Amino acid sequence: MTSPQVGIVFWIIAFVMLISAFMVVSLKNIFHSALFLILCLFSVAGIYVLLQAEFLAAAQVLIYVGAVAVLMLFAIMLTNNLASKKIRQANRNVLVGFFVSVIFCFITLVLLVKTYVSVWGKLKPQAVLPAQNVLVFGKYLMTKFMLPFEVVSVLLLAALIGAIVLARKERS
Amino acid sequence: MDLTSASINFSIIYPEISLLIAAALILVSVFHKSANRIAPYIALIGIVVSIAMIFKQWGHQESGFFGMITCDSFGVTFKLIFDVTALLSLLIAHRYMISKGINRPEFYALLLISTMGMMVMANTTDLIVIFLGLEIMSVPLYVMAGFAKRSLWSSEAGIKYFIMGAFASSFLLMGIAFIYGASSTTDLRRIVADFHFIMSNSPAYMLTGMALILVGFGFKIGAVPFHSWVPDVYEGAPTPVTAFFSVGPKAAGIAALLRIFIFGFANVMMLSTVFWVLAVLTMSVGNILALKQNNIKRLLAYSSIAHAGYILVALTVGGNDAISAAIFYLVAYIMFNLGAFAVVTLMETRSGCKSDFSELVGLAKVHPYLAAVLTLFMFALAGFPPTAGFFGKFYIFSAAIKSGYIWLAVIGMLNSFLSVYYYLRVVKTSYFDSSDKSFIPVKYSLSIIIVLVITVIGTLGIGLFPQQFLNWSQSALFAFL
Repeated sequence: MTSPQVGIVFWIIAFVMLISAFMVVSLKNIFHSALFLILCLFSVAGIYVLLQAEFLAAAQVLIYVGAVAVLMLFAIMLTNNLASKKIRQANRNVLVGFFVSVIFCFITLVLLVKTYVSVWGKLKPQAVLPAQNVLVFGKYLMTKFMLPFEVVSVLLLAALIGAIVLARKERS
Repeated sequence: MDLTSASINFSIIYPEISLLIAAALILVSVFHKSANRIAPYIALIGIVVSIAMIFKQWGHQESGFFGMITCDSFGVTFKLIFDVTALLSLLIAHRYMISKGINRPEFYALLLISTMGMMVMANTTDLIVIFLGLEIMSVPLYVMAGFAKRSLWSSEAGIKYFIMGAFASSFLLMGIAFIYGASSTTDLRRIVADFHFIMSNSPAYMLTGMALILVGFGFKIGAVPFHSWVPDVYEGAPTPVTAFFSVGPKAAGIAALLRIFIFGFANVMMLSTVFWVLAVLTMSVGNILALKQNNIKRLLAYSSIAHAGYILVALTVGGNDAISAAIFYLVAYIMFNLGAFAVVTLMETRSGCKSDFSELVGLAKVHPYLAAVLTLFMFALAGFPPTAGFFGKFYIFSAAIKSGYIWLAVIGMLNSFLSVYYYLRVVKTSYFDSSDKSFIPVKYSLSIIIVLVITVIGTLGIGLFPQQFLNWSQSALFAFL
């Protein structure tokens, strides 16, 4: 992030992301929650673009917004009356959950600040990523990470069989 | 030797490939009319071929696929353990699935894919591949837990296991991300090579990452305080699936824990304290909660938590003695635990039978041999000599005492005494209790008899020749780390 304009864009995106993430977990209408989730995921893609990770941004939009969120919307619409129902999202464990998440936030913040302090002034602005990082990414996928890349397909196969087994109608 | 060899050497993944081919054949055969009948046989052949391939790999030390797969004695030993588990579970499952009307070819395909995932998990030093293997292992397990769709219990077990499993995976992934952030590599061998540099540079990131990874695997092996899903899932899932659950994922989780924490991050002193607490909690809570159970499956669920605790004792101690004792105990546990589950499955194949204690009443009068076998397994679980269970505990606790963990060994032994009570309750119910209901005889099938013979030979054989077996498990200690 070199220019101040980029900094302003970052703050706007971060603000939108946080607000929409809060909406996701607090709204009473689950359909609206899902729509805010899409906004939140879009903002994450925006952050990726700012970090020059174009491929990650495209994958984020395609997979999370295009597939996961749309699937959620379908599931909500196909479930009886769920789209218009008012649902309380929190149960009596909300306070405990709040404290746990505050503690986790605190730990992460401490880690981040510590790192920030330790590298303060040592970092030189330089091109960390190669200009065509999608190209490099593709090459890695076909060389070093070839085996994980292939093994993922077994995982997808297993998930596919599982979904069919569970969703298929019982023959009596 | 070049550990990040780019060679694409398929011979180091032949066992995985043969399981995958068998699974693919089963999926193709689904379109055939008699798929239900041939699927178990295809799975059986796949596992046997895979075991043969493992014996060919014995003693080879190789690394390939750009360092993503390592084939060392440690990994090969665990591959064999997973294959034997899958074989015995398959034999236990066959008759049960038919009697409950859920004998589908997909079940066997899922079993094979899950086993393959465990193998991937144990045969790599790369955290990404460990995570992938874990997911390949887990996703079929979620479906298998809910395989009896008409049973509400089974569906509940599937959903519960899925949610807790997904939760655990996210912890694990977060931990891997932290460690990657600190060391900028996911290969454990590189992390270990620069360990002191990374630890002095960013200790907080490394420790947070390790803690999160430990939480993730704690869920998978059912360690206290991450055990809440275990009893419900074990009780609700179809019994052969529970048998597979109680040993397969546990062995895979232990393999990954050993590789990451014992071979990898061996020099972190703080870890042994964490493992100490985990081990004591897991043993004690598992055994105490098991005391009051009236359902055999629930009882075996709590007992499996306790046994994970005994293995965690070995992980706390560390060092060659303790690790070989852990592998020894794991194999012994597989033998007698699967044997016990085979008996429970046999009882449940009678129509309309649950796995409550009351179903055992009168077993000894109608089936004296079956009762004797069940007694043997219960003695082994409780740790009586001359069964495998005794020597497993003996080696673990003596390793603990040798390394100065006296209190840990004492707590472990007290727990072991405590467990005698509930294991012997099973024996007492089947021999001495009486009720007005008459005992419905069970029908043996060839596959169950084979399982019982193998597990009895295993339980007694390991118990009678412990030294030879310990030598074997010591040969498994070579790992590329």
